Amino acid sequence: MIKTVGLTKTYGDLDAIRDVSFEVEKGKIVGFLGPNGAGKSTTMKILTGFLPATRGTATVAGFDVFDDPMEVKRRVGYLPETPPVYPDLTVHEYLRFVGKLKGLRGDKLKSDIERVVNKLALADVVDRLIRNISKGYQQRTGFAQALLGNPDVLILDEPTVGMDPRQIGEVRGIIKELAGDHTVLLSTHILSEVVATCERVVIINKGKIIADDSLDALANKHGGGRDQLEKIFLNLTEA
Amino acid sequence: MRNTLAIAGKEIRIYFTTATSYVVLGSFALIIAFFFQALIGDFQRTIAQTLQMDASWLEQLNLTDYVMYPLIMNIGVILIFFTPIITMRLLADEKRGKTLELLMTAPVRPVEIVLGKYLGGLAMMLAMLGVTLLFPLVVQLLGASETGSPLDWRSVGVGYFGAALLGAAFVAIGLFTSSLTDNPVIAALLGFLILLMFYIAGSGAAGSESIWKSLLEFLSLSSNLTSFARGVLRTPSLVYYLSISVFALFLTYRVVEAQRWR
Repeated sequence: MIKTVGLTKTYGDLDAIRDVSFEVEKGKIVGFLGPNGAGKSTTMKILTGFLPATRGTATVAGFDVFDDPMEVKRRVGYLPETPPVYPDLTVHEYLRFVGKLKGLRGDKLKSDIERVVNKLALADVVDRLIRNISKGYQQRTGFAQALLGNPDVLILDEPTVGMDPRQIGEVRGIIKELAGDHTVLLSTHILSEVVATCERVVIINKGKIIADDSLDALANKHGGGRDQLEKIFLNLTEA
Repeated sequence: MRNTLAIAGKEIRIYFTTATSYVVLGSFALIIAFFFQALIGDFQRTIAQTLQMDASWLEQLNLTDYVMYPLIMNIGVILIFFTPIITMRLLADEKRGKTLELLMTAPVRPVEIVLGKYLGGLAMMLAMLGVTLLFPLVVQLLGASETGSPLDWRSVGVGYFGAALLGAAFVAIGLFTSSLTDNPVIAALLGFLILLMFYIAGSGAAGSESIWKSLLEFLSLSSNLTSFARGVLRTPSLVYYLSISVFALFLTYRVVEAQRWR
């Protein structure tokens, strides 16, 4: 469903990512793990058509993100690292706006907003200005926006940042529910997030992919159980 | 088209849910009120002087030419200062707030984003001009006599149409400067600078000769308002304002679209 081949992005002399190739199969949740600044967000921005790659190709649902951006954008729900919310709109106004951009109108728009509001437990803040709600709620509003229109593919850049432990648990639950019907690429720098939600993980460090495996296989390969994953991750990203 | 309207609607909502727009509308109206009051005062003095000299000239004096014409010209000048304030955040704020990422990854084409933003800014511009309609209305209500309406409304209408065209060109230029930066203050200053240069072109024309004079007059955003404010619809001026708007919008489109190539 998501496929990148030799994806490279350079800023001047600096390689943000280099030869990034990986694949996410339909209906799977894949963790995209790496320390801060490893190139996770850059890769995701390319996948969603926000940034062009310097080299390499990326396809989503069979469409090239550079040649067919509109087809890709219709199929992808994207939560960027900073929730893209307008402080001067209420949560409801904001979701209405994004829903319209995604082509939802009338009853369909109304029912879909209701669906994501319930899913992310936003009912209490729906009529408040986004500037006045907590960071955790803002993050959830950003997540709700990505789910509008029920896109096949979800690209989530650190979806639980700024949330309290209870909210983190809830959001991880929502992500897990997405498996099967949706293809999810989830970036994070927290290993436990991957362990809690994903079966497979792609580890990126300094712009390069250093591991792409199921969690169990990764643990086996480096001689240890799942409880050793944290150590394995730290060792891999140390180099 | 529907995406364009959705974006324009969002802009209008933000204009009117934040205090900024009311401050802008209020202070704009206040400044124009000051000019209006001064022009009425001038008009009274002119009448008094004419009466002392030759009362038959009084027929030449009317509120349309002596108050509304200069008022509309003044509005054109004051808009140089106010337009950048209403356009500065249109695109710069989207970049700063990281919401451009939302617009650019939604199934919306760059041209729809630019036009939506433009329509939003234009609505605010029309609201500002709409507020100043209060002044001709005051003249109409208080200046009525048996000899008929104190104003030639056709002429005033053409004047406001010209002001709206000028405003449309100003908004397009302001939107363009807003696309260049993620800092609204820089966008406003840049916009102000460009509008001021167009204005200076007009005042430079007054002092220069022959070919330069016509060229500078042709380029001046304000000089082209003169005929409209006099109640004359001149096609070249109409085409001029529309061309400036389309050109600035095209540049904005290129800047937004370039995001895809960087």
